Amino acid sequence: MAALGAWRLLRPGRRWFSETVPGDPSAPGSPLYPPVVASFTAKSKAAKSRRLQRFNERVHAAATVEEKLRLYGKLQRPKYTVYPQTFALNADRWYRSFTRTVLVPGMPPRGAAAKPPVAAVGATLEAGRAPEPGAEAPAAAVAPGAAAGAAPYVDIGELRSLVCDALLQESFYQNKKRPFLYRDQDHTPGPFLTQLVSTLAASLSGRNPLLAASSLDLSPEVNYYWHHGEEVVVHGHRKGRVDPVRFQIDDNPHLQIRVPKQLPEVVPLESDLGDVPVIDHKPSKLPLFKKQYENKVFIGSKVADPCCYGHTQFHLLPDKLKRERFIRDRLEDQIEVVYRSNGIASLFAWTAAQAMYQGFWSEADVTRPFVSQAVVTDGKYFAFFCYQLNTLALTAETIKNNPRKNICWGTDSKPLYDVVEDGNVKGFNDEVLLQLVRFLLNRPKEL
Amino acid sequence: VFPGVRQAQWLTKTKLVEGLPPAVLGIMDNPALGLQELEERVKHVVSHARLWHSAEVAPRREQYCPVLFENLIHICRLMSGKYPSLTKRMLARNCRIAATWERESILLQVRGLSGILMNSMTPIPPVASKEEILATKEHVLETFYPIAPTIDLQEVNVYKELNDTGQSFRDGYPYPHPHTLFFLESANVRTDRFRPEQLRAKMLMFAFGNALAKAKALHGDDPKVLEQPVVVQSIGTDGQLFQFMVFQLNTTDLVSNDGVKNLVWIDSDQNLYERAQCVPEVKKRVVTKPAGISGFQPDTFKKFLALYLHGAV
Repeated sequence: MAALGAWRLLRPGRRWFSETVPGDPSAPGSPLYPPVVASFTAKSKAAKSRRLQRFNERVHAAATVEEKLRLYGKLQRPKYTVYPQTFALNADRWYRSFTRTVLVPGMPPRGAAAKPPVAAVGATLEAGRAPEPGAEAPAAAVAPGAAAGAAPYVDIGELRSLVCDALLQESFYQNKKRPFLYRDQDHTPGPFLTQLVSTLAASLSGRNPLLAASSLDLSPEVNYYWHHGEEVVVHGHRKGRVDPVRFQIDDNPHLQIRVPKQLPEVVPLESDLGDVPVIDHKPSKLPLFKKQYENKVFIGSKVADPCCYGHTQFHLLPDKLKRERFIRDRLEDQIEVVYRSNGIASLFAWTAAQAMYQGFWSEADVTRPFVSQAVVTDGKYFAFFCYQLNTLALTAETIKNNPRKNICWGTDSKPLYDVVEDGNVKGFNDEVLLQLVRFLLNRPKEL
Repeated sequence: VFPGVRQAQWLTKTKLVEGLPPAVLGIMDNPALGLQELEERVKHVVSHARLWHSAEVAPRREQYCPVLFENLIHICRLMSGKYPSLTKRMLARNCRIAATWERESILLQVRGLSGILMNSMTPIPPVASKEEILATKEHVLETFYPIAPTIDLQEVNVYKELNDTGQSFRDGYPYPHPHTLFFLESANVRTDRFRPEQLRAKMLMFAFGNALAKAKALHGDDPKVLEQPVVVQSIGTDGQLFQFMVFQLNTTDLVSNDGVKNLVWIDSDQNLYERAQCVPEVKKRVVTKPAGISGFQPDTFKKFLALYLHGAV
């Protein structure tokens, strides 16, 4: 506006327009001078906060998820590498404090509809949902007199024979060479786990349409990078500055199942089921070591994949973490710690990476919980974990007013069988198989 | 020297038929399979194997070839929701095969790691009818005079004639019948991979070895014409090109050149897709080739699935 332009160009000393022009509000909203704020480049706390703010705005404004992930992990600095499978003592307490996770022993209580009741072997009739295809008749078994709307039954006998066949093939029937030194896990339990999961998933896919649309990955990579807490830089040219503590998990599950739809939440987003352990020491006391390399966030496949939510992971413990080794070193209580730390770290990395693939990050916290499951095994003993991610806001800034905690349900490790002798599996444990079947049949309510 | 399949045919006393047998083609045409919905899934699966499964921009063949194979097998296995007899199958990796036979006074042997083997509880029913088997009597095997047929074969002193797939599986194995052999040519360097012709010859030799060992285990070591021919299938791929083969062993009498011959149906060089572009190609600021899979051929997967379902449907 010409009047405003003239007003602005008025040199001091002129008194033409000493009174404000009536009825001419000085263009609403448009400031007379640029805003007075701290500088960007100065070596001051105000400048640092402006730079952080600009970074946050850039990430918020990123057009695609790939761009967001690229900006999020652009700056490389030394960070702690967190290994899910570790021999460190009491690692699960440390991992829970890094990831703000509450550990609840036992499995989460599920609704009756999701749990498949098991019928006694020898039943003859078939009952199930109406659209069940006729070919299912020999595979399903039923308790007599079930109502037409009941959930489909699962024939434990048939699944048990599938599992035993897989176990016997890998350990007994197939002639293999002797296992390489310290590679016992690749010789028998590894292939057994692959066979077990693929055949169980295939036979249960008729009951779980989510499995029928799933994607099975063998030895995928799962990575996640996050900040939690603050520390002072100890030495170097950045000495004395306050930096966030950076962590990176690089995980290689043995097997994982990814699905196109998310698993339902177990408890509401804001539930509080326990306490997160607080550890006053530096993470390097665990021991945990710093390294600087690419900050990757990856769930097992790129963002373009339609199967972007996780269902179940299967982890195989390496030879270094065998039970016999712990017993020999008189550390029996650490055996369960190994399973728990593996479950918590791997599942946190997976669920958090899934959340990042949906556009959430530490400044934009998740609006719905992300749920995934994991089975950690060493070939004979199985431990089951279910993780619900409620919050990604773990940085020093965002954690101040964040009441939410992530929750992990976990069981102790139980053996699937006692021993394999002469082509027979002795002491088969049906409960472990049942839990595995329940895990695989987990699906959203509407399916 | 010259195409490997012809040499393999002479060595195994086999007659070649182009294309897949009508039994398998019949499964492909069965509308109950729901192949249309599967096309979308197969495209996703190919993209996953070629583009998405690792954080690098362009995964190499050593990674994407096994991943593609696992994904295709996963889709085939999920069909066991519709066909429960598919659960009676088991995959065995790293099986060793050993089979010995005589061809015109030359002792031949097939040994080695035969890729990935799928076993089933029930054998595949014979694909060729009795008339076709008898008609092979008239077929004359191609000879390569003056080149000896054992050219390019390694001569080895054998002290023990090993003869069974029982060598790789013990007695009482619940899945005794070899169903399909899978060969993955996944070496990164092109010279380390088999050429398609050589791959087909390798598939034929190993299928023959498995079938022969099974026949000898079932019917004894005497050379004779089999009442129940043994059928073994074989699929070979390098991540893009697929070779399909169905082999039927009609006779274990391999010393002479006359009589009933074995049969093999080969469908070669089937492309699953034309190109997998990892990064869009841009020439002069214009995108000429967008990223993704182009030239997808659903028929190749249909043949894969048909061979998988053969014997169970």
